[in-house]
Amino acid sequence: MKTKLLTSLAVFLVCGFGLIVFADHHEKDEDMNKLVFPEKYTTMSVSAGGKITGVVKFNGEIPEKKKLEITKDEKVCGAEDKFDESLVVGEGNVLKNTIVYLIDISEGKDFDKEAKIEIDQKGCKFTPHVQIVPVGARIAMLNTDKINHNVHIFNKINKSVNKQQPKTRRKIQLAAVKKAEGPVEVKCDIHGWMKAWIAYVPHPYFAVTNEKGEFTLEDVPAGTYKLGYWHEYCGSNVKDPMSVTVKSGEETKQDFSVKVNK
Amino acid sequence: MLRKRLVLLSIIIGFTFFISIQVFTQDAPEVSAQGKEVYEESCAHCHGIEGRGDGSAAENLLPKPRDFTRGLYKIRSTESGELPTDQDLFDIITEGMPGSSMPGWETQLKADERWEVVSYIKTFYDGFKESETPPRQISLKDKIPYSEDSVEIGKALYTDQGCIECHGNVGRGDGTSAATLTDEWGFRTWPANLAENWNFRGGTDTEDIFKRFIGGIAGSPMPAFEGDSFEHFGLTKEESKRLSEIENKDEMTPEEEEESGKLYEKMDVAVEALLDLAEGTELTPEAQKTYDDAMKIVYEKSWHLANYVKSLSPEKRPETAIGNNVLRSQYVTEDLPILGDEAWDTLQESYYPLVGQVVIEPRQFNPTIDSVRVKSFYNDTEVAFLFIWDDRTHNTEMEENEETGTSYEDGIAIQFPVKPPKGPTDEKPYFLWGGKKAVYVWQWKASAKDQITELTVKGVNNVTVQEKQGDLNVKGEYDNGQYRLWIKRTLATDDKKDLQLESGVFVPIAFSAWDGANGDKDIKRVMSSWYSFVLEPVPSSRRFIYPPIVALLSVGLLFGLRGFVLRRSSGSVETDIDQ
Repeated sequence: MKTKLLTSLAVFLVCGFGLIVFADHHEKDEDMNKLVFPEKYTTMSVSAGGKITGVVKFNGEIPEKKKLEITKDEKVCGAEDKFDESLVVGEGNVLKNTIVYLIDISEGKDFDKEAKIEIDQKGCKFTPHVQIVPVGARIAMLNTDKINHNVHIFNKINKSVNKQQPKTRRKIQLAAVKKAEGPVEVKCDIHGWMKAWIAYVPHPYFAVTNEKGEFTLEDVPAGTYKLGYWHEYCGSNVKDPMSVTVKSGEETKQDFSVKVNK
Repeated sequence: MLRKRLVLLSIIIGFTFFISIQVFTQDAPEVSAQGKEVYEESCAHCHGIEGRGDGSAAENLLPKPRDFTRGLYKIRSTESGELPTDQDLFDIITEGMPGSSMPGWETQLKADERWEVVSYIKTFYDGFKESETPPRQISLKDKIPYSEDSVEIGKALYTDQGCIECHGNVGRGDGTSAATLTDEWGFRTWPANLAENWNFRGGTDTEDIFKRFIGGIAGSPMPAFEGDSFEHFGLTKEESKRLSEIENKDEMTPEEEEESGKLYEKMDVAVEALLDLAEGTELTPEAQKTYDDAMKIVYEKSWHLANYVKSLSPEKRPETAIGNNVLRSQYVTEDLPILGDEAWDTLQESYYPLVGQVVIEPRQFNPTIDSVRVKSFYNDTEVAFLFIWDDRTHNTEMEENEETGTSYEDGIAIQFPVKPPKGPTDEKPYFLWGGKKAVYVWQWKASAKDQITELTVKGVNNVTVQEKQGDLNVKGEYDNGQYRLWIKRTLATDDKKDLQLESGVFVPIAFSAWDGANGDKDIKRVMSSWYSFVLEPVPSSRRFIYPPIVALLSVGLLFGLRGFVLRRSSGSVETDIDQ
């Protein structure tokens, strides 16, 4: 009898343990689609850094391009056809809008303070589709359309942002955030199809691939790093990052391809 | 045997130890046991044990129960981006949120229990602990009182600021962006119908409305009027007007380019102060003054806008008590007014609230149509009705949409018993599409706006289109988020399946409506239970004929009597009469 009781207790506890493990695992799944930042980052001058360049390719079946349905302000928004930008693949399967970054860098150069952080709302589309924003930098939102837009940024760690940008406002500025997070979604509630992504980052070793799938990370202090990527449609390699070794003053080529991993 | 037990025991101890580590390494929030207890008893069904807004009842609800883990609260007395005050949370718990599933707990929970719940829900979001300064409160001190002028200014702002995009031309929540809105959790959401302010989540006072502008409705598409987005922040009204003028031109002259540049520079100073404040940087007295001056204009305009929004709803919600709102059809001698006739404006409307059909599957837990308002006239041969109801979207066919789901056709149905009850105790048919006792129904669909179908219905699965479709005259229209449907029928028909109407006879009447964009279709709908309809008896013509006749007769009789008396006893008239 006692044995039975003990056994059932044990089973109960094992189940409880399993649940905890499962819950942890579950949360990690959510983290899969986020960037990973170093706990601490120290700036220093990098004199003889190396360079990481590469081309990112998409490895998988390319779905049919999805044309966006323009439900209002057709004159401005519908002047040219718009397509879903969650997966933009160029000739030779090159993948645009992939964030490529160093996961575990703890010291290196400072941000380029002069760099303008601008997102334009033009033709009812956010340009660029993926924007890297240094923590502590303000974002200028431009409205070239001269129609009403609203900028809704779904920050989760930082305060979320929802600002109207009436047609009379060509430029508004968004306050800087204090914590690294992302990528977070940017939407225009007025034009439901308008979507973009922002990543608030604590160090400058982040790049977004261009339409040729190319990226460049410059002034990297010599060393071996974990190389991470994030892509809206494909997911990320948080679980299994690449390794890259940078030599002083040299260029390291690191082409890679990504599969849908979400 | 002993060894077995020992093994088991050590396994248990091992796991207990492991789990203890798991549990104790997590931050143990300081909460009173009472708050947790009350929360788990009264709130967790919807808001979830962990406050994620994912309780067991959440699935069927829209708007969804709040997820407390992100610190985003819709109804606050604090500025944009700020957390709510404890009082804000307490007030919402006490009063509830009209137009949503959140009830007021004033009678269910004692005040101290509600305060405990406030403390407890704050533990779901670390931001409450981390914030060092109290949230910035919205100042209400320079309120602009309600006036026609203020409403006019507000009305212009309503268009200029883009409110119109979601809330529509006249505020019925039918703007061109209304159908595609989602909140920060990805759930569908609808803009408020500003003409039905009793459904406002945070109150109907001008102050309440003002606070929603300055503070925004966090997590929803409703933005806050943060200085530089609402306004040419830091410019005077004249400068702002000039800048808009320049910027609205297709091409700027070099002079205009320069002028606008200068105005932007001026604005940048104020915007700098605004951003510094948002980022937690302390302002210099000078910058503070620039900011305050700029904010003054934003506040002023927000008051005008609040006055305008206030003007869009009736002063109070129309009377809803059953018995108070018998639909009384008014008699006229001439032809009945058609749709759009001014005669309709002379009638007061009867207001019938509609609720989601939740008796049988598929249920509608989240209705989007508030009510139907009805007016009616009749003459000696016919009766005419005007039905008015607000619907944010005009759907005339089935449409599939990946993001917002499938939408169906809008419509309305008016339901009567086939025969009027013989007396007040005579049982009415079942209110939901009848049953053993049949109901007689007029069903109208948005795709055929000038047609109506007569049905005989004996329960949800027993709907018959009447063979003989009487000649009802019908006109329907949709404009700015509102349907208006006009129906005319003869009082008597030659179809036994129709209800025959007679003056003075009280007839049960009930309504169903479908908002296709909200997934309403067939039995999934909003509806009312039975109300009463009567052709108000003709103010009898006898009232005007008999009294004068009686009066004349009485006078004649008196005179006759007088003559008779006079003739009988001449000479003592006065005495006789006195006696």
